Amino acid sequence: MRLVLDSQLPLLIAMLVLGTVAKVVTVGSGREPGALARLGPAVLVPERIQAPALLVCAAGELALAAGLLLTTHPLFRWGTVAFFALSTYVLLELRRRRPDAGCGCFGEVSSAPVGLRSIGRTVALTGMAAVSVWAPVPGWEAAVAPSWLLVVGVAVLAALSPEIEELIDRVRYRAPCEQRRGPAESVVLSRLRASGTWRAHQGELASAEPHDSWRELCWRFFAFRNHDDDDVVFAVYLTGRRPAVRMAVVSAEGSAPLPEYTAVSA
Amino acid sequence: MGYPSVERRRVLAAAALGRESGVPGPDPGDGEPLRAVVGEVLDVSPHLITIETPAGAEERLVIAPWATAWHGAEVAPAGLPIGALVLMRALRDGRVIERIWADTTRITGTILSIQGRRDLTVELDCGPHRGHRTVVVPYRSSGRLQVRHPKFEPGYLFDAIGVRRDGASLALLPATSQPPYPARSVPPPSPVYKQARIAGTATWSDTFDEEERGAAYPMLERADTGCAQAGVSCAGLPYLSVGSLLQVRNVCSNRSANVPVVACGCVAGRFCDRCVECDTSPRGRIAELSPSSYVELGGELVKGCFNAQIGLG
Repeated sequence: MRLVLDSQLPLLIAMLVLGTVAKVVTVGSGREPGALARLGPAVLVPERIQAPALLVCAAGELALAAGLLLTTHPLFRWGTVAFFALSTYVLLELRRRRPDAGCGCFGEVSSAPVGLRSIGRTVALTGMAAVSVWAPVPGWEAAVAPSWLLVVGVAVLAALSPEIEELIDRVRYRAPCEQRRGPAESVVLSRLRASGTWRAHQGELASAEPHDSWRELCWRFFAFRNHDDDDVVFAVYLTGRRPAVRMAVVSAEGSAPLPEYTAVSA
Repeated sequence: MGYPSVERRRVLAAAALGRESGVPGPDPGDGEPLRAVVGEVLDVSPHLITIETPAGAEERLVIAPWATAWHGAEVAPAGLPIGALVLMRALRDGRVIERIWADTTRITGTILSIQGRRDLTVELDCGPHRGHRTVVVPYRSSGRLQVRHPKFEPGYLFDAIGVRRDGASLALLPATSQPPYPARSVPPPSPVYKQARIAGTATWSDTFDEEERGAAYPMLERADTGCAQAGVSCAGLPYLSVGSLLQVRNVCSNRSANVPVVACGCVAGRFCDRCVECDTSPRGRIAELSPSSYVELGGELVKGCFNAQIGLG
């Protein structure tokens, strides 16, 4: 019996922590245009308090998770039941009033409109929280000795989570490289410096720092000067750890291109 | 790091990747090229117009019999006031004028505040590069503008065409149907893959230098441009840089030209609208052209946009 009662505690804690992290990340990137549209229930409150509302919710979740993990105090147990029961009500209300908004449970991944599955998930979580109220041990003890019922809980939640499909979709249908935000300039520069092309031509350069750098489509270009004051340009492909690197030397006089041209792959 | 020479970037990139470096300018296969001529009117008669160009030269140009002019409303070319700044579409190597726009301005930005009861004074945020701008919406135009701007309130986008008069900008015509979302909530591009050519709407802006040929492009890396609002567009655009050559094709007039990217089009990227100049374009502004480039591609300034396709020049 004890196993049944405390079996779902680790799952509840994990869900609460995940929810906290996802919400904080969403708010952190939140000044980004479009992101606020994915805030979920926060769209029900006035615009200027949307981000604070989300943060308060995240803080509440974190407090509940910590309480469940460390203590057996009924305040946190019943608080969790109340939290998920309230979430169910909020999602029902959201579905009624803003059918276009996502549930926002896990930040921007939960941008799909609220469906029966999202609501079913909060109902299931409410049930799990209710069962866990009478668990005799704190969360960390239950986590140390997990039971097979935990696997059942995970399977139920996975089946009820539309976010998993969204994540798979994101992995499968990645935007083409030229439409994705590229790695930082310094990262690409260090990849360039790890390449064989760089080592072969490093000695010709007057300075180790590029005087210009820009990105076009899936390439980042670094322009250097060599000792003859010609331009040495390296093009680094933006995907892969050991990307293709090409280089050319263009004489400074006139704009007639390609006086000398070499192409090398790392 | 700045842009030591953005012209140079094109040459260097072409050399590194072993491709041909494109040449800015119209596609020679488009028939008779259009030329945009900019200047200040010194004298005008029904058949001749004398202007002072930005370089200080005086030029006398022939006005074609079918030519029309716009100065807040359609007027006869001979009715243009002396001293007006004109942009003209010219044929025959820039000698024969067929369309004149006088003192035309375009006001694009996010509404910050609206004041007034009859004539409205609207303060706009025109983006990090262009600062704030105050425009007057005269009472007779306010109905027409508000029909196309249903959310006429702070935080929403505004785009209108008007005239400069006595140092003030008057908004007279709506340049678009206002997108229904707040300026900072641009919808993400829909995932369309393997699109052969990127299509959308091309608009113009008067924030370029006189006679400059170029475009502002929304999809630039933020770190490269120093613009925290770049890289937003609902059109699924590829990343380019200042200095890249953009091949812009006006689908309506069947003209194309290679236009260099000269500025960050972060305001244009916020508009997820369509152009209905000919047919209905896909959503999203793919380039904001300088007036001269826009006119040379066959665009009509007063209409505000044309359906466009872009490729890399």
